[in-house]
Amino acid sequence: MNSSWRRSLAPRAAGVVYAFIALVAILTITSAVQGRPSYLSSVNLSNILDQSALIAILAIFMTVVLISGNFDLSVASTAALAGTVALKTIDSYGPVVALLAALVTGALVGLVNAVLVQKLGVNAFIVTLGTLTAVRGVVQAILDGQSITATDTTLLDLATARWTLPIAVAIVIGVLLIAGAVVLVRRGSSIVATAGLWFAGLALILLAVFRPLMLTQTAPVWIMLVLAVLTALVLRFTVVGRNLYAVGGNPEAARLSGIAVDRYKMVAFVVNGTVAAMVGVLYAGRFNSVDPTVLTGGELTVIAAAVLGGTSLFGGSGYVAKSVVGTLILFTLSNGFNVLNIGSNYQNVVQGTVLVAAASLYTATSGRERRRFRLALRRGKGDPPASAKPEEKVLVS
Amino acid sequence: MVTSPVLAVRDVEKTYTSGTRALRGVSMRVQPGTVHGLIGANGAGKSTLIKILSGWQQASAGTVEWKGEPVDWSQPGQALEAGMAAVHQHTPLVDAMTVVENVFLGRRETKRWDAAARRTELLALCERVGYELNPDELVSELSVGARQMVAILQALARDPDVVLLDEPTAALSPAEREVLFRSVRRLRDAGTTFVYTSHFLDEVMALTDHLTVLRDGLVVVDSPTADVTVESLVTAIVGKRLARLEAAAPAARAVGAPVLRVRGLASPGHFGPVDLTVHEGEVVGLAGLLGSGRTELLEAIYRADPASTGEVRVDDISVRHSPRAAVRAGLALVPEDRARQGFIRDWEIWRNISLPYLSGMSWRRLLPQAVREKQLALKAVDDLGIVAGSADSPVGELSGGNAQKVVFAKWVYGPARVLLLDEPSAGVDVGAKADILQLVRRLADDGRGVLMVSSEFEELLTACDRILVIRRGEIVADLTAADTDLHEVTALASGLKEGLPA
Repeated sequence: MNSSWRRSLAPRAAGVVYAFIALVAILTITSAVQGRPSYLSSVNLSNILDQSALIAILAIFMTVVLISGNFDLSVASTAALAGTVALKTIDSYGPVVALLAALVTGALVGLVNAVLVQKLGVNAFIVTLGTLTAVRGVVQAILDGQSITATDTTLLDLATARWTLPIAVAIVIGVLLIAGAVVLVRRGSSIVATAGLWFAGLALILLAVFRPLMLTQTAPVWIMLVLAVLTALVLRFTVVGRNLYAVGGNPEAARLSGIAVDRYKMVAFVVNGTVAAMVGVLYAGRFNSVDPTVLTGGELTVIAAAVLGGTSLFGGSGYVAKSVVGTLILFTLSNGFNVLNIGSNYQNVVQGTVLVAAASLYTATSGRERRRFRLALRRGKGDPPASAKPEEKVLVS
Repeated sequence: MVTSPVLAVRDVEKTYTSGTRALRGVSMRVQPGTVHGLIGANGAGKSTLIKILSGWQQASAGTVEWKGEPVDWSQPGQALEAGMAAVHQHTPLVDAMTVVENVFLGRRETKRWDAAARRTELLALCERVGYELNPDELVSELSVGARQMVAILQALARDPDVVLLDEPTAALSPAEREVLFRSVRRLRDAGTTFVYTSHFLDEVMALTDHLTVLRDGLVVVDSPTADVTVESLVTAIVGKRLARLEAAAPAARAVGAPVLRVRGLASPGHFGPVDLTVHEGEVVGLAGLLGSGRTELLEAIYRADPASTGEVRVDDISVRHSPRAAVRAGLALVPEDRARQGFIRDWEIWRNISLPYLSGMSWRRLLPQAVREKQLALKAVDDLGIVAGSADSPVGELSGGNAQKVVFAKWVYGPARVLLLDEPSAGVDVGAKADILQLVRRLADDGRGVLMVSSEFEELLTACDRILVIRRGEIVADLTAADTDLHEVTALASGLKEGLPA
């Protein structure tokens, strides 16, 4: 038990959380020293959450696609198209039809990606680079250089609504989350697997007691949190989640174990497209307008967030909660630049540096483990490691 | 005839760092202008000797002499420079380049790429070999046999004195084999020397002038091919192990109803229509050499080969065309390449073991119950003697034998009716091998059917009730293990003896 606590708190497992805490601490101290308003004020924190919510939702499902061993560059374009479709249809057909039309559009883009990648076998990078460009082209064709607005304000109301979670409810949910974690550990799950539950439950209770103001957030923030918890639960604790990790970790072994590999990978694309569409609708609703360049380049922020969270680009590993924290780091950085009034010129430099540094750290730590393992093997004799190729194949490979 | 050998090895020994003695003092003299056969069973030291000859590895003791001079090649490039070209079973070619570009790849006597001169040279080379190739065709569009010929042309383009052919026919069709043999004879008559290794003894007998047979790191036969009989050759290869194994052959036991029936299963280019039946409580061996189609057959039975045609029935219910359907129907596959196909490296033992039947270990088939998974893993660790820190150890950190036991454990506690085992004991030490063979026996005694592929025929003779011999994609014999011996199986699998189609 002790060693699993230690493993879940090791920098390799929880590094992104430490980085986030350190970043917030630095910004808090700096703004205090400079005599600015408290960085940790509820208003500022809610602000960061609201800014990052939509990208975080995309990062959650990007993580799912990355775990399945694929790659999706098309999310931002898909979101833009869905937002456009929603605003184009809402005044004539009403908000329900508009939302459905947008979601179907997103699902279709996801399906196109899925079929091309999984059934035709085209490289996922190329396919989604293609859909990124083509779907953006469709947006530009529909909008023809203009930005559009809708008179129906349902989407605007939804995207800017502030929902409050009653304190009592928050405490109950927090207790339930922790109770769930306890039950799971009792039934054999590891601390590592339930770390997110412990953390979320504790955070919720602490907020309810000490910062009740933080229980009022915009609708996108709540949607993001619910989706994050749901997705994390599905990935961690269901057969579907387990199989998804297997599909990404070793597709051939998964296939020969009787898992429908293609189906899992395709569903990941379609879900990702649908969720991107929902994000697009919320984004369009925020200002009740879209223009042809909306969310351009957003896919890179999303992938950066997932990579910051330690998601492997080769599939089979990744955590939803960490990708959300990765998103928060990126938005905290830009928010910090604004608060400290440093100017945005160096923002990209810093964000890029942080990303590369994080990726280097992940690679270096896992590489060290691998080397140590190889050394240990060389000391032992005889029986080759499971991964070593049989002697005969060395010659021909 | 007294000629000095172009290539000679004298008292060569090779001991690996792991302590394995692959060669224990091997001497061999290759005369110019001959085809010199180098044969031996798996583990006889053949591969090691080839690696030393072609400069991939260095001998621990003894000398290699090239045209009378001792040499000490430490890189393949040096051997090539001296005039010794090697063609392996899968020589890497650049798919995106044409035949002529591949043949002259890496030659740099001139800086300029003189396309016309190269084409002329290639055509002359083809003429010499007696094989037609379109110089401008992309290598990716060639058949396996034609690719092999490109690899051979690539070797010949350097005008070598000795060409080392390592299992060149494993992937070839009979017609392509004939072309290759014609070319080899033609070039030999023109003065090129060949060192030729093959599992197919009929080829070796037909093609070579001189034979060196290795067994357990020693030379057991070294004489002109004409002086060797088929009988003595098989005995030389399998050695004294024969007697011991005949004694160990299991008594025939009663078997139950048919559990696996395969009818007309074929995969173009890999194996022809195959019929076979496995009964409850029966271990059936599939004896075949590398490239005989044995692995492909097993994968097709498991429905993992989308190009295959024919019918697979388990308990008389036809199995649809996917591994998923196969698992549901009661088939299980322990694959040949376990690291690539068998397990997930970073996953713990317990998560790997529960993978195929995870729903069965889950609450309402939806939420996996880690307690049950871990209990099963502990049981497996205990039953199968898996040596690991704990059931939480990642499988990638286990030794080959223990990882293989994990792959077995995935299936043995489930409802599988038929286990398909592909080289279940390859790369496994002796102790683990015995454990695994015992496990196979136990599985059959539980009333399941087992179909097992192995290139170590001794193993099949000990573990199986019945042995099917597969050669070049066809089942050529159906033998009762008790009524046959290593001699017969080796002869059938290597083509020295014609079997009656089963």
